[in-house]
Amino acid sequence: MFRIIKRFSSQLTKTYQDVVIIGGGPAGLTLLTALKTSPITKNLKCTLIEGTNLDKVRQFNDPPEYYTNRVVSVTPKSIEFMKHIGSWDYIHEDRIKQYDGIIAYDSQDSESRIEFDVSNIGKDMLASMCEVINIQYSLLTKIESLEDDTINIKDNIKVIDIINPVEPDMNHDLNEIDKNTAIPELDWPIVKLSNGESIQTRLLIGADGYNSPVRKFAHIESRGWQYNKFGVVATVKLQFEDFRSVGWQRFLTTGPLAILPLTEDNATIVWSCTPELSDLFLKINEKIFPHLITAAMVLDEVDLNYIYEVLKENPDDFSILKDIEWRLSKFDPLTLEQNYPLPVVEVISNSRARFPLKMSHADTYISSRVALIGDAAHTIHPLAGQGLNMGQSDVSALVEALEKGMQRGMDIGSPLVLENYVSNAWPSNHMLLGVCDKLHKIFSTDFYPIVFARGIGMKSINMIDTVKDFMMKQISGK
Amino acid sequence: MNRILRRSLHSSRAVSQKLTSTSQSEMNHFNSLASSWWDINGPQRILHKMNLLRMDFIQDTVRNNLKLNTTKDEEIYVPGYSLDILPVGIKERIVQDQEFKKDQLLSETKFNVLDVGCGGGILSETISRLPFVNKVTGIDLSVDVLEAAKLHMEKDPILAEKLQYKLSAIEDLPKTDKFDIITMFEVLEHVDYPSKVLLEGLKRLENGGWLFLSTINRDLISWFTTIFMGEHILKIVPIGTHTLEKYINQIEIKNWLEKEPERKSNYKVVDTKGCIYIPAYGWKFTNCPDIGNYFMAIRKM
Repeated sequence: MFRIIKRFSSQLTKTYQDVVIIGGGPAGLTLLTALKTSPITKNLKCTLIEGTNLDKVRQFNDPPEYYTNRVVSVTPKSIEFMKHIGSWDYIHEDRIKQYDGIIAYDSQDSESRIEFDVSNIGKDMLASMCEVINIQYSLLTKIESLEDDTINIKDNIKVIDIINPVEPDMNHDLNEIDKNTAIPELDWPIVKLSNGESIQTRLLIGADGYNSPVRKFAHIESRGWQYNKFGVVATVKLQFEDFRSVGWQRFLTTGPLAILPLTEDNATIVWSCTPELSDLFLKINEKIFPHLITAAMVLDEVDLNYIYEVLKENPDDFSILKDIEWRLSKFDPLTLEQNYPLPVVEVISNSRARFPLKMSHADTYISSRVALIGDAAHTIHPLAGQGLNMGQSDVSALVEALEKGMQRGMDIGSPLVLENYVSNAWPSNHMLLGVCDKLHKIFSTDFYPIVFARGIGMKSINMIDTVKDFMMKQISGK
Repeated sequence: MNRILRRSLHSSRAVSQKLTSTSQSEMNHFNSLASSWWDINGPQRILHKMNLLRMDFIQDTVRNNLKLNTTKDEEIYVPGYSLDILPVGIKERIVQDQEFKKDQLLSETKFNVLDVGCGGGILSETISRLPFVNKVTGIDLSVDVLEAAKLHMEKDPILAEKLQYKLSAIEDLPKTDKFDIITMFEVLEHVDYPSKVLLEGLKRLENGGWLFLSTINRDLISWFTTIFMGEHILKIVPIGTHTLEKYINQIEIKNWLEKEPERKSNYKVVDTKGCIYIPAYGWKFTNCPDIGNYFMAIRKM
């Protein structure tokens, strides 16, 4: 008996891994950094597998002039965590914009607005706008600075299959398992890669996004719905730098449009809209699109619908600019200046893109030897800017559970260890997902009773500081 | 009651049977549990959960009793008063220094461990994974359960070089085998001569070594929680696991240790903690070691 075990172990010590992370997005890279910088878990053998080439991320060492269009809101809590694991030292801070408030208002009733001002909760910022690639770059640079030979990053490599040696299904031929790298008798998942390698691991992490193959492997159900909406993003330039440092969000019945500040006169927009409108927004002449954004932050929806119709006929119809200007001229200039964002004057070429909006939540984040983090576990409507931050708090909770498990000498693939992660992370994520989903639904209608009720709701929330403070603390992650 | 006490601790008459041996019915009971021992959602779930607390108890005791300053030159500051009266920033710094030193000391430590009554190896495996443990020997008298233990350790390749199991009673191990840690978790309430077993364990401790044990106070509350609720109502413990007469009060162990001058001078009860199972939460330490289940740490001075 012992001889057999010895044989196994001598084979395995070379090749088996303690943690294999699928996905090199922010969640996966954060987890790898956190594991390798924790004094308790730093000796774990870790491999990260990413389908795309990470050289793109490394090249951010010398960042491009214009902002990339994947920009996220990062809460102070997430930043604190990234400082704790040491990656924030490598961030390009000159490309981060702190903002200290959000002004949200309703297209059906311009009087209903909520102004979140961070000074009410005694903080110096609400959140920071930051490019996703900036975060990835800081994490990857931190990881590579560790020069730890128990870290293995395999990029430009795809996962072909994940096999559970104990429960082989009909499609898997166990003979295909390379006996030199994996032991069919061991109940550890085997990851087969496009370069022919296979890796057997004690714990498999799904940081592999909405369509998570790891989640499917673990037979974890994810529930939710498509919103039948797209989010259109773009990098824009404002008329000049806005020293108010606030984000603006207008709830249109077609979906919220947000303008969020970046450094200097730069800003980023997220426009949630119907599939037809998203087609249009990507197609409109890039000299007209900035004026459409300005208009959409101010004009009534009947006016906007007319403008959409004209542009649908001809996306390059410059005559519409005169029309927009005339409609805006009906507003009092002082009101426009004080209660609305600055006009958008330019859209950066090729910065427009769209992605489908959905809400989903996995029933659990774990099964034996598997854990899910980030979008693999949940996707959220972007209206509160919580997507990336939820992933960060997943990682924080997971690492805490793994540390505790290591200190207790547990096998970190055991559900007894991983259960702590779910019980810490799942309920708060569920609440956030629910709140954002309800907000989306409440604001997607022009049905008068609801418009009336939400107007009362917004005005009263705006007046009751305790409720507002609570919401702000949620947004800033405190 | 007198009879019970004699059985549990005061009896020192030689016996023909194995000291650690349990009755045939106890043996049959554990043999039948072998197959489900490692199913963490099965009949032993509560034991798996308790093991988390055992590990916390061992870790905390070992860490908190490390000698931080061995020579005069070293200057890890250990104040002679509670750290809580210091300002938060200062306290954090001192704790940080101390923890760092503890990590350093433990990283140079290589403990040999004996797990008495290892059963399916739940504790043997976890204690093997601790970085400051060099080698673990798990012993038990149930053939089937040991077989389950050996099978299960194959599920983690790093265990092979640290952990071994033996079908043996503690008194049959060579007297010359000494250990830094000996564990007797949930053992004494299952053996016929607990005082003998305890003595055999103490004899095999290295100087400065630790004997960790856990068992159950013999009181109405224990009967209510472990037998009535645990086995019969909630059914979270297999029926027939416990016998009230075999439970031992923690004060009886303390008194027994102090009864003989030689034992009293060589061994010291460093810590005793009560613990309680809360359904849907798990195990939790209590401040009262005299009621229900308890852990005890005895150190050879």
